Amino acid sequence: MFYRLSGVHHADYVSDSRIYKVPADRNLAVFILVIGLAAPFIIPSLYLNSYILPWLIWSAAALGLNLVTGWAGQLHLGYAAVMAVGAYSAIHAARFGVPWEFALIIGGLASSVIGSLFAFAALRVKGLYLALTTLAMQFVMDWVLTHSPAITGGSHASLQSPTLALLGQPITSDAGYYYVAFGWCLMVTIFMLNLKRSALGRALVAVREKDYAAAILGVNSFYYKILAFATSSFIAGVSGALLVAAFFFLAAPEQFSVAVSIQVLAMVIVGGLGSIIGTYFGVALILLVPGIVNGIFATTSANLGLQVDVETLAHMPNAVYGALIVIILLIEPLGLGKLYGNIRDYLMIWPFDQFRK
Amino acid sequence: MKGLNRFLGGLAVAGGLLSAGAALAEPFKVGVCYDLSKAYTFATPQVAQAAQDLGKLVNMRGGIGGEPVEVIVRDHGNEPQRGIECYSRLRREGVFVFDTLSTPVSLAILPRAMEDQVILMQSLVGRGDAVDGTVFDWVYPVGPTYWGQAANNIAYIKQLHDGDLSGVKVGFVYFDYPFGQEPIEILQTLAKKEGFELLLYPVPLPGSDQAGVWSKMRRDNPDHIISWMLGGAHVVAAKEMARNRIPIDKYISVNWLNEVDIGNIGKEAAKGLKRGTNVVGGLDAPLRQVMMAELYDKGQGSGPIVNTEDVFYNTGLAMYSIIFEAASRAAEQGGLPITPQSFKAALETLVDYDANGMMAPITVTAEDHGGGGKTRIEMWDGETWVPQTDWIAAYTDVVWEVVRESSSKYGQ
Repeated sequence: MFYRLSGVHHADYVSDSRIYKVPADRNLAVFILVIGLAAPFIIPSLYLNSYILPWLIWSAAALGLNLVTGWAGQLHLGYAAVMAVGAYSAIHAARFGVPWEFALIIGGLASSVIGSLFAFAALRVKGLYLALTTLAMQFVMDWVLTHSPAITGGSHASLQSPTLALLGQPITSDAGYYYVAFGWCLMVTIFMLNLKRSALGRALVAVREKDYAAAILGVNSFYYKILAFATSSFIAGVSGALLVAAFFFLAAPEQFSVAVSIQVLAMVIVGGLGSIIGTYFGVALILLVPGIVNGIFATTSANLGLQVDVETLAHMPNAVYGALIVIILLIEPLGLGKLYGNIRDYLMIWPFDQFRK
Repeated sequence: MKGLNRFLGGLAVAGGLLSAGAALAEPFKVGVCYDLSKAYTFATPQVAQAAQDLGKLVNMRGGIGGEPVEVIVRDHGNEPQRGIECYSRLRREGVFVFDTLSTPVSLAILPRAMEDQVILMQSLVGRGDAVDGTVFDWVYPVGPTYWGQAANNIAYIKQLHDGDLSGVKVGFVYFDYPFGQEPIEILQTLAKKEGFELLLYPVPLPGSDQAGVWSKMRRDNPDHIISWMLGGAHVVAAKEMARNRIPIDKYISVNWLNEVDIGNIGKEAAKGLKRGTNVVGGLDAPLRQVMMAELYDKGQGSGPIVNTEDVFYNTGLAMYSIIFEAASRAAEQGGLPITPQSFKAALETLVDYDANGMMAPITVTAEDHGGGGKTRIEMWDGETWVPQTDWIAAYTDVVWEVVRESSSKYGQ
């Protein structure tokens, strides 16, 4: 009824390789795109800047991690370190006088190089061993950052980002920062949507499912693993740079610590490995829900006039948030993306499925 | 009902104070965006409780300029983006004085506070060079910088050695990340200037394994040990010192050591341990006594009383006394409503202000937002903290050289 379809049927290859196989999905995407473009005019700046902007940048970053973990099947526990490389390279380039467009690309490329260097070493091992090797990369990067004042900006380890400027236009307004984040997130999303139906995407999936089998089919698994690491690192680098340039305005090592790496991995897992829309949901849950639940608890207790001491008030939202993650993963172990998929599949043929039973 | 009462009360007072037709003034609000659930919980509950208690006391005494004050406490979990969210949200509720008590969050908020021209109080956290008021107009790290605190510790050691430090060995044991590394530069400068030998002992985070550090310390046998660690790491250090038979009275801690740590070390075992501080330790400070009489004896404290038997509670009282003192001066000088500008101007009129014997006297000026950076050394005598020196601010020229060198790079 909602989708005006009775299942998805393909009569030729062109229809099979469409991004949106269901017209309603495409309409929904266009609708969200329009809302996204109009957001600065319809959403109050508090929500635009404190929620939606970081959500978009982190979604782009998490999509990059989903590429290497969800598509290529390589567990990565050092993603924040890769973001840090991009952020610091881009800021140093921009401070040196390089225009921001190129500084962002330099950041991405630097991340790519460092990320794939580690992948070279790491890809001799698989599974949990790879996870530990990438975790080691995170710790190496933490150590380098806290011991190189030249990189991190003096003894306080805070490096200020020059004003972001794109195409000769300095960006200083809330809406400007939002559009930069929106544009980047859109680019990454379009790339990921197309990845699904490209040879590269299929090769990555083959490597994920069984790399020996992929090799027998003629897919060079080592090459594709490196490619996956390099691509995801590029996305990480630019996202890290934008996070600093458009949101934090200065880079500090704590913004890219091991806790952040685990947070990004949590976003991808809760959202759903290999799911694009799930990544958006996952980022929203991990990044935004703690703050929102916290706010709800604070206002509720204030409105009810409860004398809850501040520590309890701070810990209760954490308990709720933890329970939320457990409940979601119990209901649907494949994550929020799959949960959305289930609802969509149910509605696809509703109400006619009732007759079938 | 409460809201209505407050409204009516506010109306009555405003009617009394202001001429007819003047708008109702916004109450003065302090934004306390703290990490109450993650890394800084060793200190934040006590400090937040002190802030709330002080707010209550101010309101019991008629508020500021006749208006009640509001202390808004929120948790940011030590995550920069949640800190920014807290800041943006409270700023829209009319808050223009913020404190984060978290270095990462303070760093994240600083560029916004500078841009938005609101007051960022960041005593004891954040970038130390923000004491340079000529660069950081809107940031007030009132209290000592870690550089100043380390320099004052050296001044104390110099007193012990009758003004001659040549041939003295000073060990510096520190967390091997920016918080611990910060004083190294100034200690090296002073080592050259005074001729003492500086030995560095980095401790990897989280400081639970210090065995190697302290056996090396036993071989080197420094005369004094300055420690830049937090919370439980002090306890580990004390245990390792006992194991290596290094007397605990050599240990001079950074201000982040409290009664909980003393309890974990053991009250007797910690006898002789010293800490640098800018607030008075122990239970006898006059302002704390007032809190007991007016709030806790009547069962109106903002939290458990055990939190108040803690030097971080005193730290909180000191930090927030400064804010409320400045606010009431702003109300006197500039009238209501208090604006960021009038608050800033009032802060800079504080001369030798010590919150009734709560802390080192501070004098905030347009150039020096740290208020002079005085500290003293206190020693744990098994029961309470005993001051070993007057309030001192030593080597200020060397400290300010480092401050200016660092602050001059801001905005480049």
